[in-house]
Amino acid sequence: MLEVDSYEHNVLARASLDHCVKCTICETQCPVMRVTPLFSGPKYVGPQAERYRHGESVDHSLDYCSSCGTCTLVCPQGVKIAELNSVARAAMKRDHMPLRDQIISRTTLLGTVMTPVAPIANAVLKFKPARIVAEKTVGIHRDAAMPTAQLTTFTSWFKRHTPSTTPTRGKIIFFHGCAGKYFEVDTAVKAVEVLEHIGYEVVVPKQGCCGMPLQSNGIFDAARKSVRTLAGQLQAGPAGVPIVSTAASCAGMIRHEAREIMGVTDDALIEAGSRTYDISEFLLGLADKGELPLDDLKRIDTEVCYHAPCQLKGQGMGTPAVQLLQLIPGVSVVESGATCCGIAGTYGLKKEKFDVGQAVGKPLFDKVKEVNPELAVCDTETCRWQIRNATGAQVVHPIAFIHEAYGLGKATEPKAGSV
Amino acid sequence: MRKLRADVVVVGGGSTGVGVVRDAAMRGYKAILVDRADLAQGTSGRFHGLLHSGGRYVVSDPESATECAEENAIVTRIQPHAVETTGGLFVVTPHDDPAFGDQFLAGALKAKVPAREIDPALALAREPRLNPGILRAFEVEDGTVDGWQLVWSAAASAQAYGAEILSYHEVVAVERTGEAVTGVRCLNRKTGEDVTIECGFVLNCAGPWAGRIANAAGCQPVDVVPGRGIMVAMAHRLVNTVVNRCIYPADGDILVPIHTVCVIGTTDHPTTDPDHLEIPREEVQQMLDAGEELIPGFRDARAVHAWAGARPLIKDKHVAATDTRHMSRGMSVIDHRERDGLSGLLTIGGGKLTTYRLMAEHIVNAMEEQLGVSHPCRTADEICPGNVPGKTYLITDRLHEREEDRLSDQIICECELMSRSMFIDLLEKFPQASFDDLRRQLRVGMGPCQGGFCSSRIAGLTFEEGAVDIERATGLLRLFLENRWIGLWPILSGDQVRQAALDDWIIQGILDVDHLPHPAKEEI
Amino acid sequence: MARIVVIGAGFSGLAAALRLRQLNHEVTLVAKGVGGLQLSQGTVDILGYAPEWVQAPFKSFAAFIEANPDHPYATIGTQPVKRGLTWLSDLLPGLVVGDMEKNVCLPTPVGAMRPTALYQPSMASGVLTKGKSYAIVGFNQLKDFSPEFCAANLTRTPLPTGGSVTATAYRIDLEVAPGEADSSALRYARALDDRPEFRTRLADAVKTVIGPEDIVGLPACLGLDDPTIHIDLAQAIGRPVFEIPLLPPGVPGMRINEALMRALRKAGARLVLGSFITGFEASAGSIVSVTVQQAGHDRELPADIVVYAPGGFESGALTLDSAGKISERTFDLPLTGTNAADLVTGDYWHDQALFKVGVRTDSTMRALGPDGAPVYGNLYAVGSILSGATRWAEKSGEGIALGSAFAAVNAIGGGK
Repeated sequence: MLEVDSYEHNVLARASLDHCVKCTICETQCPVMRVTPLFSGPKYVGPQAERYRHGESVDHSLDYCSSCGTCTLVCPQGVKIAELNSVARAAMKRDHMPLRDQIISRTTLLGTVMTPVAPIANAVLKFKPARIVAEKTVGIHRDAAMPTAQLTTFTSWFKRHTPSTTPTRGKIIFFHGCAGKYFEVDTAVKAVEVLEHIGYEVVVPKQGCCGMPLQSNGIFDAARKSVRTLAGQLQAGPAGVPIVSTAASCAGMIRHEAREIMGVTDDALIEAGSRTYDISEFLLGLADKGELPLDDLKRIDTEVCYHAPCQLKGQGMGTPAVQLLQLIPGVSVVESGATCCGIAGTYGLKKEKFDVGQAVGKPLFDKVKEVNPELAVCDTETCRWQIRNATGAQVVHPIAFIHEAYGLGKATEPKAGSV
Repeated sequence: MRKLRADVVVVGGGSTGVGVVRDAAMRGYKAILVDRADLAQGTSGRFHGLLHSGGRYVVSDPESATECAEENAIVTRIQPHAVETTGGLFVVTPHDDPAFGDQFLAGALKAKVPAREIDPALALAREPRLNPGILRAFEVEDGTVDGWQLVWSAAASAQAYGAEILSYHEVVAVERTGEAVTGVRCLNRKTGEDVTIECGFVLNCAGPWAGRIANAAGCQPVDVVPGRGIMVAMAHRLVNTVVNRCIYPADGDILVPIHTVCVIGTTDHPTTDPDHLEIPREEVQQMLDAGEELIPGFRDARAVHAWAGARPLIKDKHVAATDTRHMSRGMSVIDHRERDGLSGLLTIGGGKLTTYRLMAEHIVNAMEEQLGVSHPCRTADEICPGNVPGKTYLITDRLHEREEDRLSDQIICECELMSRSMFIDLLEKFPQASFDDLRRQLRVGMGPCQGGFCSSRIAGLTFEEGAVDIERATGLLRLFLENRWIGLWPILSGDQVRQAALDDWIIQGILDVDHLPHPAKEEI
Repeated sequence: MARIVVIGAGFSGLAAALRLRQLNHEVTLVAKGVGGLQLSQGTVDILGYAPEWVQAPFKSFAAFIEANPDHPYATIGTQPVKRGLTWLSDLLPGLVVGDMEKNVCLPTPVGAMRPTALYQPSMASGVLTKGKSYAIVGFNQLKDFSPEFCAANLTRTPLPTGGSVTATAYRIDLEVAPGEADSSALRYARALDDRPEFRTRLADAVKTVIGPEDIVGLPACLGLDDPTIHIDLAQAIGRPVFEIPLLPPGVPGMRINEALMRALRKAGARLVLGSFITGFEASAGSIVSVTVQQAGHDRELPADIVVYAPGGFESGALTLDSAGKISERTFDLPLTGTNAADLVTGDYWHDQALFKVGVRTDSTMRALGPDGAPVYGNLYAVGSILSGATRWAEKSGEGIALGSAFAAVNAIGGGK
């Protein structure tokens, strides 16, 4: 098994640098390079600088990479640019990891701490002096988007709820991710209700963090541990059935990032990844096969801006949410056309990167305001928080629309009992 | 016509010649070095970049091994900037005889070459791309050395002691009066000017071209049999340690990480014309196969460039084989006083870059013996200009430097991270330089894109700076592209094909360089 | 309506996908990354050298095809190329102008006089004209353009149509951000797009340095989103202004790329970007599906028709391995030209036979096997994968891309 415990051992991504022909397409699409000269760009810190690396990463400006993955996505030659950068960053931070990066990387911890005291936590997060203290002590920007803590976790809702229909299609595993469990409970609830509505028996095995925030902050050892545990937990569910998720980036971690960035090649992970689907991808797949009840979809007259998160685009599935939403009569979807919202996981929270993140997201924020200042759609949690924080618009997961179209609730309103 | 005077003229600007001119200058001689091309453009710039620990010779040639070990330490001390202390491994692959390892260790002990056996797992941890089937591994103190940096810094040292370095000065004749050398007549190939240097001694360090210089002095033909060897550079360092096969010295037995690339070498075939060294396809294949045995997947990695060098072997029937008084191992000195009745001319053949300083010492000693004087050699004592004591080269150096200045300077060659100021500063020193002359000191155009992106930039800079007129600037651009291609087409495959296609797209398709007015004459 | 999978997002892939979508087919475009358009100079070349300078591309077609019977144009013929060019000109009137019957000379950054047929309005004043004088202006912070080198070569080169021009170099300081020393053309383009004051700064600086020349040439960076900036500048400077396409990634190529991508999204094509095709299923001589590489698990994309526009050696669609084997990456298509005596030679200035290797097709662009029959009845190959051309030398890339795309579209026909 290839274990990438130190930078030197990372062979896979490093070998891909040979494909680089210096065409510089990556730099034309890099959202960070566009807004700040502090980042020397994906070609520079990726395939170019990699030839000069041996152990230590001396080019500290690489930390301005937001790990959005756009470079890898747009590279026509197959260079794993973002992966190279992630590995180099991990090497750079190996011995001097800021406390802040440790804290924001541990979502499970944050969620567990915040849920029982949600009103207080929310008040604290909205309380400026507290945020200033947080900025000065741990380096989280005072204006950065933070999750809203919920009183109930998804798992406790799930245990209590009664499915509305009798299953006709067999079992399916729902993978909610940490945000779905603690912060975006409403999204997870609606997803389960939709899946149950169309006839699945939804199973939710116990599941921890995928390790993505740890990984993007360069804390590889802990991240590997997390993702391995999670893969095992998902496998503990019914064998062979699809694993469907509303947490697009966490699903991406299982599907490819753990392997491509951190070299985790356990069979359990590969197997779990091979049946993990984004929920829009899954439902559109059903629709393409004529297995999604389209006639039941009720009309919703609205025009919304949809933003495809970087982590989703990187999974090679295109943008299934666009096609899925367009199956709902009356829904007009305008693609944001923007590269990145600027949050990039936890990047845009950091005090030294906050302004960069805001500048990165500006074209998106402008587009959201132009299309529909009240409501926008996006698949991942942190991106929704970022767009919400910057535009004031309500930002929902695509499943909220399907949920409404099936008459299960209102896209813009939290499902009663889920908060 | 330019007239100069010197005590000694050194012919040949490779490591031997530059070592000799430095040594002579340090001993107080007025010394002039001439080369018909650029410094280290021949053999000294066309090797794999190994600074021997001696390990390679512990079985085949123990005396050589000892010399290498000693000189390695000296070169690392006096020219640290040219040296990277990578360390080396000797590995027994599944194709090799494990018993040779015992001979190797015994030989190393006897030759005083530091070597120790390590667990193959440890070698694999250090170099994860190494063949996982290696049976034994030995650690040695191999390093790598940039031949151009080595030669230029030794030349700078010589200049500091009053020596003159005249590159692109081709020797037309070695002047003699009866039985003694009186001078050298040269042609400055860049300007067309005739240059004569009056001198009492000529040291012929022309390597594979040494026969021509002996001819120019009217001596009996010197039988030089250049041994051609090819090297293939891979686009990034597959290893960070020199990896040797633990076998009796053979073709394709070494992989050397140098600067941003790693180089597999080499072959050995007698050739006749050192000016036209081929890079035959079958030898390229042989090198790739050899690489594959050391590093599985080697063939899928990107070969970026190849070159051929000529070992300057002299097989002279007019000199007794036993006459090794003034020789280092692998080196031969022909005293033309004994051989041809001409005093004041020594011809040197053979040698190794690692022991260049020691060879130079022997050569200058031989000259002094003929002159009947003796001065101590001090070349091992003094660090060369431009070097900081103890600061050896690190692969991260340029990345570190660009991290400091990338916001205030321009990066002209992105692959090799050469800044605009680096280029302009050198161009100011050498306004007549070709782009290849500048390349050898700056590495411009030596990375994966092989000049596709940077060649037109440097052509623009050279013209803007007023160094040359537009005809020459355009001619230099064309020449640079032609010369890059010499080392590209024999290895063109895999990822480098994509690059060559994109480079053609740029150079022909976008820039239309081929339809610029053609130069009236070939640029130099 | 057919389910059509178009593979590749270069000029030919984008054109084919968009045209097929316009004809009401269900189109999915799959591409590994951003296509090659932004690596190009952003003009539409038809035939520039054959190998002598070509005055009128289509008038030269017959003789050219006779001399190069294996060239893609011999298969495609004149009409699809003309139809493609007309379609593009109508689709992007703000980005494509010129007369397809007549080549013009546009200056390159090194001062060569490059033939092309259609070009962007921002380049129109750069059509080199006998007796005119040009002020060539560069920026100190833009390393990809040396106005001195460009002007000096322009001045000493005779126009292929006779006569000559005079060009004078000027340079200005133009910092995109304070202290920024190394700015790309794209960075300039975005600054000019976003900041009206930056346009004024550029115009003022140019006006201050130039002499009495007739026309002003600038590096190609005059806006990405707004292709009319050259008009503002011309007004402010008081002279016609044009831009000179630079090294990749080129702003003019990006403009066309983004315009086509936008049109494709708007037309409702499905886009799957970032994925290789890793396999396919065929049955009864036809492709029935292609496998798209995806995170975790690959996906089968059912296809009634496949339009294959993956590029040539530069994209890795054609490969030459270290043992000398040439192959096509996705469908292992039979290749033509692999038996040439010297595929690669040491003569740098000579066209390398390797780069003529590619796929041979029938006149409907279906890839052919050695027996002359289509390999698959529904697989159409277009663009740089086609054998027999030296696009860079001939200046024929866009003509082949559009012509082959339209020949394929024509054969596929319209949907309901």
